[in-house]
Amino acid sequence: MESLKLKKITALWVITILVLFLAAIVLGILMRLNQAEVINQEPLTFYTNMTTHGLTMIGIWFVAGMAAVNYLLQRYVKTSYTANLFAFILTVLGVVLLWLCTYLGKFNTGWTFLYPLPFKDLGAAPWATPLFLVALTILGLGWLVWSVSMMAKILQRYTLAQAFAWQHLSKQPKSETPPFILITMITLVGVIAALIAAVIVIVLFFAEYFSKGSFVNDALLMKNLIYFFGHTIANEMLYLGVAVIYEIFGELSGRPKWKTTWYVSLAWNSALIFILTAFFHHLYMDFVQPEGLQIIGQLASYLASLPSVAVTVFSIIVAIYGVRIQWSITNCLFFLGVIGWVIGGLGAVIDATISNNIVLHNTLWVPAHFHTYNAMGNVLFSLGFFYWFTTQHVSKLVISKLTKFALIVLIISGIGFLMAFYIGGADSIPRRYSTYPEALTTGPALARMGAYFACLYLLVILMFFYNIAKRCFAILSAPSSSVGA
Amino acid sequence: MLRHFICTLFFSWSLIVFGYGAPANLDEEQNIYAQIYNAPIKLSPTQAQVSLADIYNRKPMLLAFVFTRCTGVCSPFLLQLNETLRQISGKYLYQVVVLSFDPRDDVEAMQSLSTRLHLEKSTQWIFATTDSITALNLSLGFDPIWDSSTNQFDHEALLVGVNTQGYITKKLLGIRGDLELRQMLASINNAYIPSYRLPADNDLFSCFTYDPTTGKNIPNLGLLIIALPALVSFLLLVCIAFFSRNKAAKWTE
Repeated sequence: MESLKLKKITALWVITILVLFLAAIVLGILMRLNQAEVINQEPLTFYTNMTTHGLTMIGIWFVAGMAAVNYLLQRYVKTSYTANLFAFILTVLGVVLLWLCTYLGKFNTGWTFLYPLPFKDLGAAPWATPLFLVALTILGLGWLVWSVSMMAKILQRYTLAQAFAWQHLSKQPKSETPPFILITMITLVGVIAALIAAVIVIVLFFAEYFSKGSFVNDALLMKNLIYFFGHTIANEMLYLGVAVIYEIFGELSGRPKWKTTWYVSLAWNSALIFILTAFFHHLYMDFVQPEGLQIIGQLASYLASLPSVAVTVFSIIVAIYGVRIQWSITNCLFFLGVIGWVIGGLGAVIDATISNNIVLHNTLWVPAHFHTYNAMGNVLFSLGFFYWFTTQHVSKLVISKLTKFALIVLIISGIGFLMAFYIGGADSIPRRYSTYPEALTTGPALARMGAYFACLYLLVILMFFYNIAKRCFAILSAPSSSVGA
Repeated sequence: MLRHFICTLFFSWSLIVFGYGAPANLDEEQNIYAQIYNAPIKLSPTQAQVSLADIYNRKPMLLAFVFTRCTGVCSPFLLQLNETLRQISGKYLYQVVVLSFDPRDDVEAMQSLSTRLHLEKSTQWIFATTDSITALNLSLGFDPIWDSSTNQFDHEALLVGVNTQGYITKKLLGIRGDLELRQMLASINNAYIPSYRLPADNDLFSCFTYDPTTGKNIPNLGLLIIALPALVSFLLLVCIAFFSRNKAAKWTE
């Protein structure tokens, strides 16, 4: 009965995520079309769309990873259905409030809501900023309770040392920690830290809002905290997807399940430390930030990404090299997603290098790399999980000719859409411009290219949506007896 | 534990909101990057009024506020400003507009002030009056107070940097040295000037405190707060691990 409830709530998550995903893609396309001068939106509309697009994408792909991990965690520990449902209700409520803020209240600071922008008169309604903070509080509360609940459930079965797989650092470990548990634990700690940073930011914003001038915030502190939250959560959601791959890639491919080794344990434990300090690379242009923190930012950016990426890629290569494996839509999406993650990660590391950042800072290189590991990385991890979740059987995941064609179109459209960003970034085209000045001649042409390829990407996602959503509705409408674990 | 955490948060918030009630005084950060009020100004008795925008659209502007009956800081302020500007190399475009904030001053009085300062022939210096001083002062956060016992205004020596788009890029209070004037000239010419807000009484969690005696930034409470999320989450992790194991042990028993 418990697994049926879990299956139904997971199906609800999947449908909600996909509906919001389609809406957010449309907003992204509208932004690129505006930059391409194909349509003509007011700057306020552009920035409202940009804010909604960013907030929605970050939110949905984080909860997609959480829902997937929660579902698979049931294999090892009994998770809390109440916490899952609580997070779902608060997420839906939070998203509705956010969309109200942006479309009725015209809140348009961008998803990073950098201080003091929410307090500046940017054309938003006076109630938009407090409502935005309330929406963030609701989302943060739901996610924090969910994360803490999952962590507590893991720690009820595993000791702290086992949960972090520290015994694997010795030569003969007495017990085994599944890689899924290790990566989930590492990720949950990071997620909780990010959400606590968000709590502090919200408290400080509210304090200034209600103090009516008797308290002001420090811009440097707020920027550090906002990126502690924003950068960390954006990276941890990738790790949630990676945890899913470690759990089901082997069984889907007809290969042995992956095991935790000393280097897997070491790589992921070090990733935890470094991921919490990598966000300093967002402050390279802030000259008052102490130089030591800038250096930590660069080192942590390398050390946070490279070990975990190297270990995961190595594991995948070992799993597929020289053996005949059964390719399904899920492990195809996982495989493509890992490639997107690696390429996007490299783009990120290039940008996180101080000497490069001087050139690439706030250019289209930034959306280039984060769209690579999201649109062609994390999204594919989650879509792969959604397919597997709605079928639960390898034989039903066989790739048809139409699916093969869709995957090829997905790759082509993804590359085309991303190349428009990368070329623009290399050409120093700034990001977050609603329209480009005349001097930036390549800007509109690249935006047009990006928009058209994004339309193609949207078509493929629509097809995936149709396939996944109809199965989700079947799960939701099926009587209790017909839905197995 | 959650209850204690919420109580602590609420207590801290209350302290922040209610404990520090003093509003910030006029300082050099107010109205920065705001648009200056486009006041009509009069340059000479014979010419018609022009707008301030007619002046700053032509060339970036340093706007100095004085009044002709001033027995205090006004004359030393203008003399020192003139002297310092002469020493600074001519790398930047600028003009100086000296504006009276005393409604009793007329253009003739301002012209005689320019003569007293030997600036009447300078093309870079403009002396003017306005009949919209209240709106202009408001756009700058400038608030001279009339003291009837001394027949003088109680005021700061204010110099405002305005670029050719009419944005206030920098404000200086008091007679200042060449370094700050160079920064002001750079800012009105739209050059990037690194600056960090000076700590005020209402800024509790500043990352740094500027020490004017040494000119150095001393790390402050704000830097510690950056580490707080990581510390709290690790603490939470240890607590959950401790209580979960206790609970698990009880169930096993």
